[in-house]
Amino acid sequence: MENEKETVTAAPKAAAKPKVAFFDFASCEGCQLQITNLGEGLLDILGAIDVVEFREAISEKWDGDYDVVFIEGSIGDHHAEERLKKIRARAKVLIAYGACACTGGVNGMKNSFELDEIRASVYGKDYKFFDSTPTKAVHQVVKVDYSINGCPIYAPELVEVLKCALRGLPYTVPDNPVCSECKLNENVCMYERGLACLGPWTKAGCNSWCVNNGNICYGCRGEVKNPARNANDIIAKYDLKPELIKNKFDMYNKCKEGGK
Amino acid sequence: MNYHIIQKDNLDCFIKSLAKKMKVCAPVAKGHNNFAFEEVTCAGDISLNYIPTILPPKKYFMPQREKMLDFDLTEGKPKDSAVLDAPEMAIFAVHTCDLAGIQCLNMVFSERPRDYNHLLRKEKIIIIGLECNTYCDGNASCALVGNHYPNGGYDLFFTDLGDRFIIHVNTQKGEELVESMGLAKAAVGDFSALDKVREAKKSAFQNEIGVDPKKLPEIFAKGMKSKVWEELGAKCVSCGNCTNVCPTCYCFDMADTVNLDMKTGHRNRTWDSCQFQTFAEVAGGENFREERAERQRHRFYRKFKYPLDKFYRSFCTGCGRCTRTCMAKINLKDTLKALAAESRSV
Repeated sequence: MENEKETVTAAPKAAAKPKVAFFDFASCEGCQLQITNLGEGLLDILGAIDVVEFREAISEKWDGDYDVVFIEGSIGDHHAEERLKKIRARAKVLIAYGACACTGGVNGMKNSFELDEIRASVYGKDYKFFDSTPTKAVHQVVKVDYSINGCPIYAPELVEVLKCALRGLPYTVPDNPVCSECKLNENVCMYERGLACLGPWTKAGCNSWCVNNGNICYGCRGEVKNPARNANDIIAKYDLKPELIKNKFDMYNKCKEGGK
Repeated sequence: MNYHIIQKDNLDCFIKSLAKKMKVCAPVAKGHNNFAFEEVTCAGDISLNYIPTILPPKKYFMPQREKMLDFDLTEGKPKDSAVLDAPEMAIFAVHTCDLAGIQCLNMVFSERPRDYNHLLRKEKIIIIGLECNTYCDGNASCALVGNHYPNGGYDLFFTDLGDRFIIHVNTQKGEELVESMGLAKAAVGDFSALDKVREAKKSAFQNEIGVDPKKLPEIFAKGMKSKVWEELGAKCVSCGNCTNVCPTCYCFDMADTVNLDMKTGHRNRTWDSCQFQTFAEVAGGENFREERAERQRHRFYRKFKYPLDKFYRSFCTGCGRCTRTCMAKINLKDTLKALAAESRSV
């Protein structure tokens, strides 16, 4: 220790930093891209962790245990399920990130159909050669310690969750509607603009990212646990049909109901 | 009483020279009949004919998100230092409902333990009011709570007299500002024009719910178990819009955030809402207001009952924002009317 004195103020040595790995399953890999796009913020993160695997960013592999793993993507076949279980067995902390991993995401739309029917329409008559299971979110396969919802993830939330994971603190995905943050940002309500927005039913935590940038909320963070009992009032005020809202929700939230 | 006059043609000059001295915020059109207080640099940026803004000017006294302190845990004993971001600024064209809202917040935050961030920030803000000569829209209930006329809480107060504004100077700060702009004193003709505006308002603004406001405390005292609250609860989305846009809702949440160095960090506060399911939840999972009906009832009692007992003043300013913003069509005037009707029939 004596001769290491001069390094005390520098960043901790890689060996002392938590070993963190990033893995992807059925996804567009856009959430990884969000991380690589963090810019200068990435330097702060790399000061706190030692990234040992990250397919989109580095070619190194790691054969030891992981302190923290980030899982992107949903689970759509038996092979993925086994691979995920093996990763879980080697990881102290598992973080599901992105809509696919946390709620099934757009991949969940597969669950709207009879499995064999959808397999045949995708792979043709020899579909049986291609393994496929109903879409599952990561927590439907293995224990998840932290979730970072959203398509893509909201990078500031990723940093908050990482800090919680490194300090062993819990992180709770906000369970208020997106409106609760949207109003603080003083956006003109999308309904006032004549657009049907899923903000009133969708979990907050994204700082109403889409609406701040002129888009509606697509419900990518998943439905709040206890949504309004009588949403018809909202829909009636703006002269909309309940089916419209339900169909919009299907884009990200079909996995919730489980497979057929 | 000190009154001055500014010709409307000179308003641009007034705003521009004020903007040279400090940040000036005023209502700005956001489209779809929505308005927001934002920084302006000339009169052309401002919508003088506006309905209450999405958020009230409370956002300048108590920002939506505010850093309270920085801390450092590097050494054995934690170090912390308070943070206050309080720029010198003027808020222009504040309606009387919002002036009342700021007065309510001042009362609340002057109570012990005092909220120094609020109290120090308000010292830096010049408030310039603007009278409503007519109703903004049918959602307002300012006459019910007596907020359609000015009742203090400003440095300067503008009333539209057609081609000019008459300005009431209410504070030393306001006096200095008007003096520095070289505005003329009001003359006899200006006062009679002001009287005419005020006289016309007597008939234009009428108690919006047809219930004597003096009866409201009694109505609320009896209304705890009203079925009205169940009806509201069945509609409510728990989005918190009604409390976020309310000029007198001041509940907040505090959280510490540590930086990635795991040693330094900061304490932030954010607006919270009694309409959120988690608001009254405590350790062990007990929730004191688990149902939406209870939470909506609480909101109404926090406007029409509890503050009357404590501060002898309604904390509903009559601005109508909660009704306008509610996606589930929960209407403040209708709720009060239904409650009063039920109270009469009991």
